[in-house]
Amino acid sequence: MIRLDNVSYTYEKGGGVSNVNLSLGDDEYAFLIGPTGSGKTTLLRLIYLDLFPQVGKVEIDKFKSDKIKRRKIPYLRRKIGMVFQDYHLLDDRNLFENIALPLHVIGVEKDEIVERVNDSIEEVGLEGKENHFPMELSGGEQQRACVARALVKDPDIILADEPTGNLDPVTSFELIKLLEEVNREGAAILMASHNYNLIKGRGHRIIEIQNGTVRQS
Amino acid sequence: MDKMIFLFSEGLKNLWRHKLTAFSAIFSTFLTLSVTGSLIIATENTSKVIEYLRDKYKIEVFFKQNISDDRVVALAKEFNSIRGIRSTTVITKSDAEKIFKSQFGENILDMVGYNPLPASCVLNIVKNQPDAVKIRPIIDRLRTYPEVDEVNYQGRLINRIESYYQKFVKGMTGLLILVLLISVLIISNTVRLTIFAKEELIKALQLIGATRAFVKAPFVIEGVFHGLIGAILASILLIGGLSLGEGILQSVTGLKLQYDTLFLISVLCGTGILISLVGSSRAISKYLK
Ligand SMILES: Nc1ncnc2c1ncn2[C@@H]1O[C@H](COP(=O)(O)OP(=O)(O)OP(=O)(O)O)[C@@H](O)[C@H]1O
Ligand SMILES: [Mg+2]
Repeated sequence: MIRLDNVSYTYEKGGGVSNVNLSLGDDEYAFLIGPTGSGKTTLLRLIYLDLFPQVGKVEIDKFKSDKIKRRKIPYLRRKIGMVFQDYHLLDDRNLFENIALPLHVIGVEKDEIVERVNDSIEEVGLEGKENHFPMELSGGEQQRACVARALVKDPDIILADEPTGNLDPVTSFELIKLLEEVNREGAAILMASHNYNLIKGRGHRIIEIQNGTVRQS
Repeated sequence: MDKMIFLFSEGLKNLWRHKLTAFSAIFSTFLTLSVTGSLIIATENTSKVIEYLRDKYKIEVFFKQNISDDRVVALAKEFNSIRGIRSTTVITKSDAEKIFKSQFGENILDMVGYNPLPASCVLNIVKNQPDAVKIRPIIDRLRTYPEVDEVNYQGRLINRIESYYQKFVKGMTGLLILVLLISVLIISNTVRLTIFAKEELIKALQLIGATRAFVKAPFVIEGVFHGLIGAILASILLIGGLSLGEGILQSVTGLKLQYDTLFLISVLCGTGILISLVGSSRAISKYLK
Protein backbone atom coordinates (compact mmCIF):
# COMPACT_ATOMS: atom_id res chain seq x y z
CA MET A 1 0.00 0.00 0.00
CA ILE A 2 1.46 3.31 -1.13
CA ARG A 3 -0.13 6.62 -0.15
CA LEU A 4 0.97 10.14 -0.94
CA ASP A 5 -0.83 12.82 1.01
CA ASN A 6 -0.60 16.30 -0.47
CA VAL A 7 3.08 15.80 -1.24
CA SER A 8 5.26 18.61 -2.57
CA TYR A 9 8.93 18.68 -3.36
CA THR A 10 10.78 21.48 -5.14
CA TYR A 11 14.45 21.27 -6.09
CA GLU A 12 16.66 24.21 -5.16
CA LYS A 13 16.85 25.32 -8.79
CA GLY A 14 13.15 24.76 -9.44
CA GLY A 15 11.24 21.78 -10.78
CA GLY A 16 9.73 18.93 -8.80
CA VAL A 17 6.19 17.93 -7.87
CA SER A 18 3.42 19.70 -6.02
CA ASN A 19 0.29 18.71 -4.09
CA VAL A 20 0.36 15.08 -5.12
CA ASN A 21 -2.41 12.88 -3.73
CA LEU A 22 -2.12 9.29 -4.79
CA SER A 23 -2.69 5.81 -3.49
CA LEU A 24 -1.77 2.45 -4.92
CA GLY A 25 -3.17 -0.88 -3.70
CA ASP A 26 -1.11 -3.97 -2.90
CA ASP A 27 -1.97 -5.76 -6.14
CA GLU A 28 -2.26 -2.84 -8.52
CA TYR A 29 -0.35 -2.34 -11.77
CA ALA A 30 -0.31 1.34 -12.66
CA PHE A 31 1.45 3.48 -15.22
CA LEU A 32 2.78 6.92 -14.49
CA ILE A 33 2.59 8.79 -17.75
CA GLY A 34 3.96 12.22 -18.48
CA PRO A 35 6.28 14.13 -20.76
CA THR A 36 9.96 14.45 -20.05
CA GLY A 37 10.68 16.73 -17.11
CA SER A 38 7.18 16.37 -15.71
CA GLY A 39 8.33 14.90 -12.37
CA LYS A 40 8.03 11.11 -12.77
CA THR A 41 11.47 10.30 -11.39
CA THR A 42 10.99 12.81 -8.60
CA LEU A 43 7.75 11.13 -7.61
CA LEU A 44 9.36 7.68 -7.53
CA ARG A 45 12.33 8.97 -5.53
CA LEU A 46 9.86 10.33 -2.99
CA ILE A 47 8.34 6.86 -2.64
CA TYR A 48 11.61 5.05 -1.90
CA LEU A 49 12.60 7.97 0.30
CA ASP A 50 15.61 9.03 -1.69
CA LEU A 51 13.90 12.40 -1.35
CA PHE A 52 11.79 13.47 1.61
CA PRO A 53 8.62 15.47 0.97
CA GLN A 54 8.88 19.12 1.95
CA VAL A 55 5.14 19.25 2.42
CA GLY A 56 2.80 16.33 3.05
CA LYS A 57 3.50 12.72 3.84
CA VAL A 58 4.47 9.51 2.05
CA GLU A 59 3.33 6.21 3.48
CA ILE A 60 4.47 2.75 2.35
CA ASP A 61 2.90 0.00 4.44
CA LYS A 62 4.00 0.74 8.00
CA PHE A 63 6.74 3.19 6.98
CA LYS A 64 5.82 6.88 7.20
CA SER A 65 8.06 9.59 5.79
CA ASP A 66 7.46 11.91 8.73
CA LYS A 67 8.16 9.30 11.42
CA ILE A 68 10.77 6.95 9.95
CA LYS A 69 14.24 6.86 11.52
CA ARG A 70 17.21 7.09 9.18
CA ARG A 71 18.48 3.65 10.04
CA LYS A 72 15.10 2.11 9.17
CA ILE A 73 15.15 3.35 5.56
CA PRO A 74 17.17 0.32 4.36
CA TYR A 75 14.36 -1.95 5.52
CA LEU A 76 11.80 0.02 3.52
CA ARG A 77 13.99 -0.24 0.43
CA ARG A 78 14.32 -4.00 0.81
CA LYS A 79 10.58 -4.31 0.20
CA ILE A 80 10.86 -2.30 -2.99
CA GLY A 81 12.43 -3.44 -6.25
CA MET A 82 13.67 -0.41 -8.11
CA VAL A 83 14.47 -0.11 -11.78
CA PHE A 84 16.40 3.13 -12.03
CA GLN A 85 16.30 5.31 -15.09
CA ASP A 86 20.09 5.58 -14.86
CA TYR A 87 20.55 1.89 -13.93
CA HIS A 88 23.01 2.27 -11.03
CA LEU A 89 24.81 -0.89 -12.11
CA LEU A 90 28.31 -1.30 -10.69
CA ASP A 91 31.03 -1.12 -13.32
CA ASP A 92 33.49 -3.32 -11.48
CA ARG A 93 31.18 -6.32 -11.15
CA ASN A 94 29.78 -8.60 -13.78
CA LEU A 95 26.09 -9.10 -14.48
CA PHE A 96 25.75 -12.00 -12.07
CA GLU A 97 27.39 -10.14 -9.20
CA ASN A 98 25.34 -7.02 -9.85
CA ILE A 99 22.10 -8.93 -9.65
CA ALA A 100 23.26 -10.87 -6.59
CA LEU A 101 24.03 -7.71 -4.63
CA PRO A 102 20.53 -7.10 -3.19
CA LEU A 103 20.51 -10.67 -1.89
CA HIS A 104 23.88 -10.24 -0.20
CA VAL A 105 22.47 -7.11 1.41
CA ILE A 106 19.54 -9.04 2.83
CA GLY A 107 21.81 -11.90 3.88
CA VAL A 108 20.54 -14.75 1.72
CA GLU A 109 22.48 -18.06 1.74
CA LYS A 110 24.95 -18.60 -1.06
CA ASP A 111 23.24 -21.55 -2.76
CA GLU A 112 19.92 -19.76 -2.79
CA ILE A 113 21.58 -16.67 -4.25
CA VAL A 114 22.92 -18.67 -7.20
CA GLU A 115 19.51 -20.16 -7.84
CA ARG A 116 17.53 -16.94 -7.60
CA VAL A 117 19.99 -14.89 -9.63
CA ASN A 118 19.95 -17.45 -12.43
CA ASP A 119 16.14 -17.43 -12.41
CA SER A 120 16.03 -13.64 -12.70
CA ILE A 121 18.59 -13.60 -15.49
CA GLU A 122 16.48 -16.08 -17.37
CA GLU A 123 13.29 -14.08 -16.83
CA VAL A 124 14.76 -11.02 -18.52
CA GLY A 125 16.42 -13.11 -21.24
CA LEU A 126 20.05 -12.45 -20.44
CA GLU A 127 21.24 -16.06 -20.20
CA GLY A 128 24.86 -16.44 -21.24
CA LYS A 129 25.76 -12.87 -20.32
CA GLU A 130 26.48 -13.62 -16.63
CA ASN A 131 30.17 -12.82 -16.92
CA HIS A 132 29.74 -9.58 -18.83
CA PHE A 133 30.57 -6.34 -17.07
CA PRO A 134 28.07 -3.49 -17.58
CA MET A 135 30.39 -1.89 -20.12
CA GLU A 136 30.19 -5.12 -22.09
CA LEU A 137 26.38 -5.02 -22.29
CA SER A 138 24.22 -3.02 -24.72
CA GLY A 139 22.02 -0.24 -23.36
CA GLY A 140 18.96 -2.46 -23.51
CA GLU A 141 20.79 -5.32 -21.83
CA GLN A 142 21.87 -3.03 -19.01
CA GLN A 143 18.29 -1.94 -18.62
CA ARG A 144 17.10 -5.53 -18.40
CA ALA A 145 19.91 -6.27 -15.91
CA CYS A 146 18.46 -3.51 -13.80
CA VAL A 147 15.01 -5.12 -14.04
CA ALA A 148 16.48 -8.48 -13.03
CA ARG A 149 18.14 -6.87 -10.02
CA ALA A 150 14.78 -5.44 -8.97
CA LEU A 151 12.97 -8.76 -9.40
CA VAL A 152 15.55 -10.96 -7.71
CA LYS A 153 14.54 -10.10 -4.17
CA ASP A 154 10.84 -10.88 -4.70
CA PRO A 155 9.77 -7.39 -3.68
CA ASP A 156 6.30 -6.37 -2.54
CA ILE A 157 6.46 -3.29 -4.72
CA ILE A 158 8.21 -2.60 -7.99
CA LEU A 159 8.99 0.96 -8.99
CA ALA A 160 10.19 1.02 -12.58
CA ASP A 161 11.45 4.30 -13.99
CA GLU A 162 11.26 4.23 -17.77
CA PRO A 163 12.32 0.58 -17.95
CA THR A 164 11.68 0.38 -21.68
CA GLY A 165 13.55 3.55 -22.63
CA ASN A 166 16.33 1.66 -24.32
CA LEU A 167 14.39 -1.34 -25.65
CA ASP A 168 13.01 -2.08 -29.09
CA PRO A 169 9.19 -2.32 -29.32
CA VAL A 170 9.14 -6.14 -29.15
CA THR A 171 11.39 -6.36 -26.08
CA SER A 172 9.49 -3.47 -24.48
CA PHE A 173 6.29 -5.35 -24.90
CA GLU A 174 7.82 -8.50 -23.40
CA LEU A 175 8.94 -6.51 -20.39
CA ILE A 176 5.42 -5.15 -19.85
CA LYS A 177 4.13 -8.71 -19.94
CA LEU A 178 6.86 -9.92 -17.57
CA LEU A 179 5.78 -7.25 -15.11
CA GLU A 180 2.16 -8.34 -15.54
CA GLU A 181 3.19 -11.82 -14.47
CA VAL A 182 5.10 -10.49 -11.47
CA ASN A 183 1.98 -8.47 -10.63
CA ARG A 184 -0.16 -11.61 -10.78
CA GLU A 185 2.24 -13.21 -8.31
CA GLY A 186 1.36 -10.45 -5.87
CA ALA A 187 3.62 -7.43 -6.34
CA ALA A 188 2.29 -3.91 -6.76
CA ILE A 189 3.79 -2.17 -9.76
CA LEU A 190 4.23 1.47 -10.59
CA MET A 191 5.91 2.08 -13.91
CA ALA A 192 6.86 5.50 -15.23
CA SER A 193 6.92 6.04 -18.97
CA HIS A 194 6.39 8.71 -21.59
CA ASN A 195 5.45 6.17 -24.23
CA TYR A 196 1.66 6.14 -24.16
CA ASN A 197 1.35 3.89 -27.21
CA LEU A 198 3.18 1.12 -25.44
CA ILE A 199 0.77 0.86 -22.55
CA LYS A 200 -2.59 1.87 -23.86
CA GLY A 201 -5.33 -0.72 -24.11
CA ARG A 202 -3.95 -3.18 -21.58
CA GLY A 203 -6.50 -2.31 -18.94
CA HIS A 204 -4.11 -0.88 -16.40
CA ARG A 205 -4.66 2.20 -14.36
CA ILE A 206 -3.01 5.29 -15.81
CA ILE A 207 -1.79 8.17 -13.68
CA GLU A 208 -0.96 11.30 -15.61
CA ILE A 209 1.60 13.80 -14.47
CA GLN A 210 2.27 17.15 -16.03
CA ASN A 211 4.47 19.95 -14.73
CA GLY A 212 4.71 18.24 -11.39
CA THR A 213 0.96 17.93 -10.94
CA VAL A 214 -0.89 14.61 -10.97
CA ARG A 215 -4.16 14.02 -12.80
CA GLN A 216 -5.68 10.58 -12.36
CA SER A 217 -7.88 8.58 -14.64
CA MET B 1 27.32 -16.44 7.97
CA ASP B 2 27.40 -16.20 4.17
CA LYS B 3 26.93 -12.48 4.64
CA MET B 4 30.09 -12.27 6.76
CA ILE B 5 32.05 -14.17 4.13
CA PHE B 6 30.71 -11.83 1.46
CA LEU B 7 31.69 -8.70 3.39
CA PHE B 8 35.10 -10.15 4.18
CA SER B 9 35.83 -11.01 0.58
CA GLU B 10 34.56 -7.58 -0.47
CA GLY B 11 37.15 -6.07 1.87
CA LEU B 12 39.89 -8.21 0.37
CA LYS B 13 38.83 -7.42 -3.18
CA ASN B 14 38.79 -3.71 -2.35
CA LEU B 15 42.40 -4.06 -1.35
CA TRP B 16 43.18 -5.12 -4.89
CA ARG B 17 40.75 -2.74 -6.59
CA HIS B 18 42.27 0.26 -4.80
CA LYS B 19 45.92 -0.58 -5.29
CA LEU B 20 47.09 3.01 -5.08
CA THR B 21 45.20 3.82 -1.89
CA ALA B 22 46.26 0.49 -0.48
CA PHE B 23 49.85 1.34 -1.23
CA SER B 24 49.75 4.74 0.42
CA ALA B 25 47.79 3.54 3.44
CA ILE B 26 50.14 0.61 3.91
CA PHE B 27 53.15 2.83 3.40
CA SER B 28 52.03 5.37 5.98
CA THR B 29 51.23 2.65 8.52
CA PHE B 30 54.60 1.12 7.74
CA LEU B 31 56.39 4.43 8.39
CA THR B 32 54.44 5.12 11.56
CA LEU B 33 55.06 1.68 12.92
CA SER B 34 58.75 1.76 12.09
CA VAL B 35 59.05 4.99 14.08
CA THR B 36 56.88 3.54 16.85
CA GLY B 37 58.98 0.40 17.01
CA SER B 38 62.25 2.37 17.10
CA LEU B 39 60.88 4.54 19.89
CA ILE B 40 59.82 1.48 21.86
CA ILE B 41 63.23 -0.12 21.51
CA ALA B 42 65.00 3.14 22.38
CA THR B 43 62.84 3.62 25.47
CA GLU B 44 63.24 0.04 26.54
CA ASN B 45 67.00 0.22 26.26
CA THR B 46 67.23 3.56 28.00
CA SER B 47 65.31 2.07 30.88
CA LYS B 48 67.90 -0.71 30.98
CA VAL B 49 70.64 1.93 31.26
CA ILE B 50 68.69 3.68 34.01
CA GLU B 51 68.36 0.41 35.88
CA TYR B 52 72.08 -0.10 35.62
CA LEU B 53 72.76 3.40 36.97
CA ARG B 54 70.26 3.00 39.78
CA ASP B 55 72.00 -0.20 40.68
CA LYS B 56 75.08 1.90 41.34
CA TYR B 57 73.23 4.44 43.52
CA LYS B 58 74.19 4.01 47.12
CA ILE B 59 73.30 5.74 50.32
CA GLU B 60 75.81 5.34 53.10
CA VAL B 61 74.60 5.78 56.66
CA PHE B 62 77.19 6.21 59.43
CA PHE B 63 76.12 5.53 62.98
CA LYS B 64 77.34 7.23 66.14
CA GLN B 65 80.24 5.59 68.00
CA ASN B 66 78.34 4.14 70.93
CA ILE B 67 75.69 2.20 69.01
CA SER B 68 75.80 -1.57 69.51
CA ASP B 69 76.01 -4.03 66.59
CA ASP B 70 72.62 -5.47 67.49
CA ARG B 71 71.03 -2.05 67.32
CA VAL B 72 72.74 -1.40 63.98
CA VAL B 73 71.36 -4.61 62.52
CA ALA B 74 67.88 -3.79 63.83
CA LEU B 75 68.04 -0.30 62.34
CA ALA B 76 69.21 -1.67 58.96
CA LYS B 77 66.17 -3.88 58.94
CA GLU B 78 63.96 -0.88 59.55
CA PHE B 79 65.64 1.08 56.75
CA ASN B 80 64.94 -1.80 54.39
CA SER B 81 61.23 -1.20 54.72
CA ILE B 82 61.48 2.43 53.59
CA ARG B 83 59.87 2.97 50.18
CA GLY B 84 62.47 3.06 47.41
CA ILE B 85 65.06 0.94 49.26
CA ARG B 86 65.87 -2.37 47.64
CA SER B 87 68.46 -3.83 50.02
CA THR B 88 70.75 -2.92 52.89
CA THR B 89 74.18 -4.14 53.87
CA VAL B 90 75.44 -3.68 57.41
CA ILE B 91 79.10 -2.89 58.11
CA THR B 92 79.82 -3.24 61.80
CA LYS B 93 82.76 -1.62 63.56
CA SER B 94 84.80 -4.81 63.27
CA ASP B 95 83.86 -5.18 59.56
CA ALA B 96 85.10 -1.64 59.03
CA GLU B 97 88.33 -2.50 60.78
CA LYS B 98 88.87 -5.45 58.44
CA ILE B 99 88.10 -3.35 55.39
CA PHE B 100 90.59 -0.76 56.58
CA LYS B 101 93.20 -3.43 57.01
CA SER B 102 92.65 -4.95 53.59
CA GLN B 103 92.77 -1.53 51.93
CA PHE B 104 95.68 0.07 53.78
CA GLY B 105 97.56 -3.02 54.95
CA GLU B 106 97.78 -1.63 58.50
CA ASN B 107 95.89 -2.42 61.62
CA ILE B 108 94.04 0.66 62.84
CA LEU B 109 94.09 -0.56 66.46
CA ASP B 110 97.90 -0.52 66.35
CA MET B 111 97.88 2.98 64.86
CA VAL B 112 95.51 4.86 67.21
CA GLY B 113 95.00 2.43 70.05
CA TYR B 114 91.24 2.06 69.62
CA ASN B 115 88.77 1.55 66.73
CA PRO B 116 87.63 5.02 65.54
CA LEU B 117 85.75 3.63 62.54
CA PRO B 118 81.97 4.00 62.83
CA ALA B 119 79.50 1.22 62.12
CA SER B 120 77.68 1.92 58.87
CA CYS B 121 75.04 0.65 56.53
CA VAL B 122 74.87 0.78 52.71
CA LEU B 123 71.42 1.19 51.16
CA ASN B 124 70.71 0.20 47.55
CA ILE B 125 67.86 1.80 45.67
CA VAL B 126 65.06 0.10 43.73
CA LYS B 127 65.96 -0.40 40.06
CA ASN B 128 63.01 -0.90 37.85
CA GLN B 129 60.39 1.69 38.43
CA PRO B 130 59.42 3.97 35.57
CA ASP B 131 58.93 7.18 37.57
CA ALA B 132 61.79 9.02 39.17
CA VAL B 133 63.28 7.63 42.36
CA LYS B 134 62.98 10.38 45.00
CA ILE B 135 66.13 10.41 47.10
CA ARG B 136 65.39 13.49 49.20
CA PRO B 137 62.58 12.02 51.33
CA ILE B 138 64.65 8.92 52.03
CA ILE B 139 67.60 11.01 53.24
CA ASP B 140 65.35 13.19 55.41
CA ARG B 141 63.79 10.12 56.92
CA LEU B 142 67.20 8.57 57.72
CA ARG B 143 68.34 11.78 59.38
CA THR B 144 65.47 11.66 61.87
CA TYR B 145 67.09 8.66 63.63
CA PRO B 146 69.10 9.84 66.65
CA GLU B 147 71.55 6.95 66.17
CA VAL B 148 72.51 8.23 62.72
CA ASP B 149 75.57 10.43 62.60
CA GLU B 150 75.97 11.16 58.92
CA VAL B 151 74.32 10.28 55.60
CA ASN B 152 76.38 10.25 52.40
CA TYR B 153 74.88 10.04 48.94
CA GLN B 154 75.51 11.18 45.37
CA GLY B 155 72.52 13.50 45.54
CA ARG B 156 73.22 15.91 42.70
CA LEU B 157 74.20 13.22 40.23
CA ILE B 158 71.21 11.03 41.04
CA ASN B 159 68.76 13.87 40.73
CA ARG B 160 70.20 14.98 37.44
CA ILE B 161 70.07 11.52 35.90
CA GLU B 162 66.55 10.98 37.11
CA SER B 163 65.32 14.27 35.73
CA TYR B 164 66.93 13.62 32.34
CA TYR B 165 65.35 10.22 32.25
CA GLN B 166 61.92 11.62 33.07
CA LYS B 167 62.23 14.21 30.32
CA PHE B 168 63.27 11.51 27.91
CA VAL B 169 60.28 9.31 28.74
CA LYS B 170 57.86 12.25 28.45
CA GLY B 171 59.38 13.35 25.16
CA MET B 172 59.14 9.86 23.72
CA THR B 173 55.53 9.46 24.80
CA GLY B 174 54.62 12.81 23.28
CA LEU B 175 56.38 11.98 20.05
CA LEU B 176 54.66 8.63 19.86
CA ILE B 177 51.19 10.13 20.32
CA LEU B 178 51.96 12.74 17.68
CA VAL B 179 53.16 10.15 15.17
CA LEU B 180 50.06 7.99 15.77
CA LEU B 181 47.69 10.95 15.38
CA ILE B 182 49.34 12.05 12.16
CA SER B 183 49.08 8.57 10.71
CA VAL B 184 45.40 8.27 11.63
CA LEU B 185 44.82 11.53 9.76
CA ILE B 186 46.83 10.40 6.75
CA ILE B 187 45.02 7.07 6.64
CA SER B 188 41.58 8.56 7.00
CA ASN B 189 42.29 11.04 4.21
CA THR B 190 43.64 8.31 1.98
CA VAL B 191 40.59 6.17 2.61
CA ARG B 192 38.40 9.20 1.88
CA LEU B 193 39.80 9.17 -1.62
CA THR B 194 38.72 5.56 -2.14
CA ILE B 195 35.33 6.43 -0.78
CA PHE B 196 34.89 9.26 -3.26
CA ALA B 197 35.92 6.88 -6.00
CA LYS B 198 33.29 4.49 -4.63
CA GLU B 199 30.45 6.99 -4.48
CA GLU B 200 28.60 5.00 -7.12
CA LEU B 201 28.87 1.79 -5.14
CA ILE B 202 27.81 3.41 -1.89
CA LYS B 203 24.83 5.11 -3.53
CA ALA B 204 23.77 1.88 -5.23
CA LEU B 205 24.12 -0.13 -2.03
CA GLN B 206 22.05 2.39 -0.12
CA LEU B 207 19.34 2.41 -2.78
CA ILE B 208 19.20 -1.39 -2.69
CA GLY B 209 18.62 -1.29 1.07
CA ALA B 210 22.04 -1.86 2.60
CA THR B 211 22.41 -0.78 6.21
CA ARG B 212 25.14 1.59 7.33
CA ALA B 213 27.12 -1.27 8.82
CA PHE B 214 26.92 -3.23 5.58
CA VAL B 215 28.24 -0.29 3.56
CA LYS B 216 30.95 0.36 6.12
CA ALA B 217 32.23 -3.15 6.73
CA PRO B 218 34.27 -3.75 3.55
CA PHE B 219 36.07 -0.42 3.95
CA VAL B 220 36.90 -1.17 7.56
CA ILE B 221 38.04 -4.71 6.76
CA GLU B 222 40.18 -3.28 3.97
CA GLY B 223 41.67 -0.89 6.53
CA VAL B 224 42.52 -3.72 8.89
CA PHE B 225 44.44 -5.41 6.11
CA HIS B 226 46.34 -2.19 5.39
CA GLY B 227 47.30 -2.01 9.05
CA LEU B 228 48.33 -5.63 9.26
CA ILE B 229 50.46 -5.53 6.12
CA GLY B 230 52.09 -2.27 7.23
CA ALA B 231 52.83 -3.83 10.61
CA ILE B 232 54.38 -6.94 9.11
CA LEU B 233 56.59 -4.84 6.82
CA ALA B 234 57.66 -2.62 9.72
CA SER B 235 58.44 -5.69 11.85
CA ILE B 236 60.60 -7.13 9.09
CA LEU B 237 62.44 -3.83 8.68
CA LEU B 238 63.03 -3.32 12.39
CA ILE B 239 64.03 -6.84 13.27
CA GLY B 240 66.20 -7.15 10.18
CA GLY B 241 67.78 -3.76 10.85
CA LEU B 242 68.32 -4.56 14.50
CA SER B 243 70.00 -7.88 13.92
CA LEU B 244 72.27 -6.18 11.37
CA GLY B 245 72.97 -3.13 13.53
CA GLU B 246 73.36 -5.11 16.72
CA GLY B 247 76.62 -6.76 15.67
CA ILE B 248 78.12 -3.46 14.58
CA LEU B 249 76.98 -1.65 17.73
CA GLN B 250 78.35 -4.36 19.96
CA SER B 251 81.74 -4.50 18.28
CA VAL B 252 82.09 -0.70 18.41
CA THR B 253 80.67 0.18 21.84
CA GLY B 254 80.37 -3.13 23.62
CA LEU B 255 76.71 -2.34 24.37
CA LYS B 256 74.09 -5.00 23.74
CA LEU B 257 70.61 -4.00 22.57
CA GLN B 258 67.73 -5.49 24.48
CA TYR B 259 64.37 -6.22 22.90
CA ASP B 260 61.66 -8.84 22.88
CA THR B 261 60.89 -9.84 19.29
CA LEU B 262 57.47 -11.29 20.01
CA PHE B 263 56.44 -8.30 22.10
CA LEU B 264 57.62 -5.95 19.37
CA ILE B 265 55.69 -7.76 16.63
CA SER B 266 52.49 -7.94 18.64
CA VAL B 267 52.66 -4.28 19.63
CA LEU B 268 53.26 -3.27 16.02
CA CYS B 269 50.44 -5.44 14.65
CA GLY B 270 48.07 -4.26 17.36
CA THR B 271 48.92 -0.62 16.78
CA GLY B 272 48.77 -1.03 13.01
CA ILE B 273 45.31 -2.54 13.11
CA LEU B 274 44.13 0.04 15.61
CA ILE B 275 45.27 3.12 13.69
CA SER B 276 43.93 1.86 10.37
CA LEU B 277 40.64 0.86 11.99
CA VAL B 278 40.26 4.29 13.54
CA GLY B 279 41.42 5.98 10.33
CA SER B 280 39.09 4.13 7.99
CA SER B 281 36.01 4.19 10.23
CA ARG B 282 36.56 7.90 10.70
CA ALA B 283 36.63 8.42 6.95
CA ILE B 284 33.58 6.33 6.13
CA SER B 285 31.53 7.61 9.06
CA LYS B 286 32.23 11.16 8.01
CA TYR B 287 31.04 10.32 4.53
CA LEU B 288 27.87 8.50 5.58
CA LYS B 289 27.10 10.91 8.46
N1 LIG C 1 18.61 16.57 -8.87
C1 LIG C 1 17.93 17.61 -9.40
N2 LIG C 1 18.26 18.86 -9.08
C2 LIG C 1 17.56 19.90 -9.57
N3 LIG C 1 16.52 19.78 -10.39
C3 LIG C 1 16.14 18.54 -10.75
C4 LIG C 1 16.82 17.40 -10.28
N4 LIG C 1 16.22 16.30 -10.78
C5 LIG C 1 15.21 16.75 -11.55
N5 LIG C 1 15.14 18.10 -11.53
C6 LIG C 1 14.13 18.92 -12.23
O1 LIG C 1 12.86 18.51 -11.76
C7 LIG C 1 11.96 18.37 -12.85
C8 LIG C 1 11.38 16.97 -12.88
O2 LIG C 1 12.41 16.06 -13.13
P1 LIG C 1 12.18 14.51 -13.23
O3 LIG C 1 13.50 13.87 -13.31
O4 LIG C 1 11.31 14.10 -12.10
O5 LIG C 1 11.41 14.37 -14.61
P2 LIG C 1 10.93 13.06 -15.37
O6 LIG C 1 9.48 13.13 -15.49
O7 LIG C 1 11.50 11.88 -14.71
O8 LIG C 1 11.61 13.26 -16.78
P3 LIG C 1 12.15 12.16 -17.82
O9 LIG C 1 10.99 11.56 -18.50
O10 LIG C 1 13.01 12.94 -18.74
O11 LIG C 1 12.92 11.18 -17.01
C9 LIG C 1 12.75 18.70 -14.11
O12 LIG C 1 12.38 20.00 -14.49
C10 LIG C 1 14.18 18.67 -13.70
O13 LIG C 1 14.91 19.69 -14.33
MG1 LIG D 1 12.87 10.47 -15.17
